[in-house]
Amino acid sequence: MSVRVFSTPTCPFCVTLKNFLKEHNIPFEDIDVVQDGLAREEMVKKSGQMSVPVIEIDGQIVVGFDQEKIKKLLKI
Amino acid sequence: MIYDLIIIGGGPAGISAGIYAARKKIKTLLITKEWGGQMLKAPDIQNWPGEKSISGVDLMKKMVEHLKKFEIEIKENKEVIDLEKKDKNFSVRDNDQQYEAKTVIIATGKIPRTLNIPGEEEFKGRGVSICSTCDAPLFKNKEVAVVGGGNVGFDTALDLSKYAKKIYILEFSELMRGDPATKEKLEKTKKVEFHTNVAVKEIKGSKFVEEVVYEDRKTSKDHELKVQGVFIAIGMVAKAEFAGDLVELNEIGEIKVDRNNNTKTLGLFAAGDITDVKYEQIVIAASEGAKSALAVVDYLKKT
Repeated sequence: MSVRVFSTPTCPFCVTLKNFLKEHNIPFEDIDVVQDGLAREEMVKKSGQMSVPVIEIDGQIVVGFDQEKIKKLLKI
Repeated sequence: MIYDLIIIGGGPAGISAGIYAARKKIKTLLITKEWGGQMLKAPDIQNWPGEKSISGVDLMKKMVEHLKKFEIEIKENKEVIDLEKKDKNFSVRDNDQQYEAKTVIIATGKIPRTLNIPGEEEFKGRGVSICSTCDAPLFKNKEVAVVGGGNVGFDTALDLSKYAKKIYILEFSELMRGDPATKEKLEKTKKVEFHTNVAVKEIKGSKFVEEVVYEDRKTSKDHELKVQGVFIAIGMVAKAEFAGDLVELNEIGEIKVDRNNNTKTLGLFAAGDITDVKYEQIVIAASEGAKSALAVVDYLKKT
């Protein structure tokens, strides 16, 4: 399973999302869109949104810390 | 089943009320849509005794963990939609169930105020934001508007000034309301344009925000600004509609309480930012929550 998190360092819900993944022992790629301009563009394009966090789970995009959707996609 | 107490809200006021109630061994249910409330948006809290520096998210987690150590029933992700008094008891309804209790504490806090203009809801997350702490970096080299020239608007603009190339602050009243010191900082960035006496009327775009339309209130003429982002920073608002006429509100929608957290209805208490108590601070909300739970205990003894 491939999990990627697009986030900014200051966004509280990004921290919540990452802690949630850590608690469930789910490895993920942590992408800081402040540092990485290309990733920022990729995130906006894929999600159709200008807001963080965005999580990509096996190609499926979820915007925000939507616990129910994320749990379902992670099958936890 | 009749609870001694139902607490509505999971911010510092509700959590603290829950801790006090549980320690007093009264049969308590806490219903909340989310944990932490406005605290979640604070990146660095430095005025909660015992924590020199902590993020809102971490403080919320600690508080919830603390609360859950006690014997207390909790319904998460539930929003209370109706509160009524039936004879002596209260009936509380959330989106899927109804509960009964001898007393209720309302601690639902405040939510961000909206403009209620076309495009605001439609472009949420697609250029419209209420959280500069979260989203400011996404507007690198872009032009943005900040609606609201108070302290929240100024802080929002300050967050944005690290990234955006141009910032327009749009204020409804005749003067900017934020701190002059912050205004000076903003002026120094040479990125900020201040507009007073303007009413924002519409947010337009296709996939993302492309422009904001405002009316100059002096000339009644409409103007357009080409921006890729609109940050809404017009403060917070109390929403207590579910309580109907069981509570009395002040002119800004806050629930009026006396010094012991009583509302106008016997057995119905309120605590934290939803009330007309001055100074909206985590430590104050928590202590108001504690006070209200202790007032409930006294009330239950007498009845």
